Amino acid sequence: MSPLAFTIAHTLTKIFLRDRQTIIFSLLFPVIFMVVFGFVGNQDQDPIKLGIVNNAPGSLSDDFIEILETNPLFSVSEGDETSMRQALISGRMTLVLTLPAEFQETDSSVELGLLVDAAQVQQLNLIMPVLEQSLLAVERQLRNSEALFTLTIEDVQSRSQRYLDFLIPGLLAFTLMQISIAGSGFNIVEYRRKGILKRLFVTPLQPGDFISGIVMSRIILCIMQISVLLGIAVFFLDVIVLGSYLSLFVIIFLGAIIFLCIGFLLGSLAKTQQSIQAIGNLVIFPQIFLSGIFYPIESLPNFMQPLATVLPLSFVANALREIANNGAGLMEIPVDMVGILVWVAISFVAATRFFVWKEVAA
Amino acid sequence: MPIIQVCKLVKRYPRPGNKAELFEAVSDVSLQIEAGEIYGILGPNGAGKTTTLEMLEGLTDIDGGEAYIDGHCVNSKPYDVKKIIGVQLQANEYFDNLSLRELITLFGSLYRRQIDPLEMLSRVHLTEKADARPASLSGGQKQRFSIACALVNDPKVLFLDEPTTGLDPQAKRNLWNLVRELNRTGMTIVLTTHNMEEAESLCQRIAIMDHGKVIAEDTPGRLIQQHAPEPPQAPLHGSLEDVFLVLTGHGLRD
Repeated sequence: MSPLAFTIAHTLTKIFLRDRQTIIFSLLFPVIFMVVFGFVGNQDQDPIKLGIVNNAPGSLSDDFIEILETNPLFSVSEGDETSMRQALISGRMTLVLTLPAEFQETDSSVELGLLVDAAQVQQLNLIMPVLEQSLLAVERQLRNSEALFTLTIEDVQSRSQRYLDFLIPGLLAFTLMQISIAGSGFNIVEYRRKGILKRLFVTPLQPGDFISGIVMSRIILCIMQISVLLGIAVFFLDVIVLGSYLSLFVIIFLGAIIFLCIGFLLGSLAKTQQSIQAIGNLVIFPQIFLSGIFYPIESLPNFMQPLATVLPLSFVANALREIANNGAGLMEIPVDMVGILVWVAISFVAATRFFVWKEVAA
Repeated sequence: MPIIQVCKLVKRYPRPGNKAELFEAVSDVSLQIEAGEIYGILGPNGAGKTTTLEMLEGLTDIDGGEAYIDGHCVNSKPYDVKKIIGVQLQANEYFDNLSLRELITLFGSLYRRQIDPLEMLSRVHLTEKADARPASLSGGQKQRFSIACALVNDPKVLFLDEPTTGLDPQAKRNLWNLVRELNRTGMTIVLTTHNMEEAESLCQRIAIMDHGKVIAEDTPGRLIQQHAPEPPQAPLHGSLEDVFLVLTGHGLRD
């Protein structure tokens, strides 16, 4: 690498920065994503829509319903059985509770009927304990009895982990991959197609200087773009970064190298702008779903997990998440660090080995 | 002593339609180009003109034969050759988002030279466009700008690949004048063209290529004397176009 590489890097940075449209569009998707999830995550849980069919009008059932109504977990409405069944089927109700005619006295046990929609059975597993708890509380209140046990809940994690906190590091890693692969691969194909590469290499320019130059300028640009996203997350969405920003940017830097090199490799394999789009998607899409960006890798089927964990995006996303969410230092994530460094080596060798500038592949 | 010596140059490509089979896109081409000459390479599409130039420029690997430019071997020392030649390619696109001034400076730095972009642009009469983007230039201005980029290293040899293709007559003549101006400074110029008028009025010597081979080489005047069809309707006005068609036939090329 010679000083010429820096001249190239400087010139290319100028070119890329002047392309405002591309910069803005590359950030638009992740920003929208972050903001949407920011709002979703901040919203309170919707109350469970509970319908009540009261077959035992009287003071006891009135008290019972009143107590349920004061519980913020439920939004209670009353009606007759047929209309409630209809409401349940159409999804306007989540649960329908039937108070039988013998619901009159407090000293005998009565059976309450519960209608559910089987399609929401998964949600039911979460709701049932809550409902039973609530019924128990209602019972105690009506009987004026003291609870035998009370539970004091203490959160050992000193901060609440929102989905957004989980999502943001992965989203940064994903955006890093997107802009890096587009930045190197798509550019190379474009330059080759337009004959710009040919024009450059008819001068005494060495390929090494050119590649170093484009990598440097792209890294600068990637770091700027990721910083913008991180800034939005931290200042507007209250995402907390527990670890050091330096560690975070070391991972971003290494990740940029991996994905830029992968981009160069794809740019050398693809002959046209269309084929680089297709090949690029082939590399990008599986990683979106397999690399634990939107949900943890552990939630994938068991047989896919070993493959998923060794993808470059998995290492980068996991490292960023460990640093941001759990305050890990670089030394505390040895598996991710080794994974990332191995991918840096693999992608760099592959990119330089296969780099094609000479001829527009026919 | 010729500044460019080409000896039995060969380039093989897979035959389109049958990739296993090779054909010679350039076949045993030998040329001797003198210093200070304007030398034209003529030929129908696919004759091997551009491939020949690209081998001399170090853009395409040489499959056979040897070439020397100003004593430097193109086969073994392409980087020494690249330092002393200027090249205008058929595709003349440049980075978007850079002005002509910035592009010229960039090209200068590729040769590790500090150059005055305005002076370079004034040589091709584009000073007033210094801050424009290449995309905003007309066809003729683009070609002149390409030549300016090719001049940043003060080349001994300037290669122009179809410099006037697609230009209107005014722009064409304007470019011819520029080529003559550059030639007057002692620069050797090698150009390819389809345009017979261009070859006739601009080039001191020409080679006619077809199917990868040089089929005739001489001054335009002597080629007309030798090959113009008989009986000439106006003996003294036989044109190079007639010669070209006699030598390469009337069949359409793609």
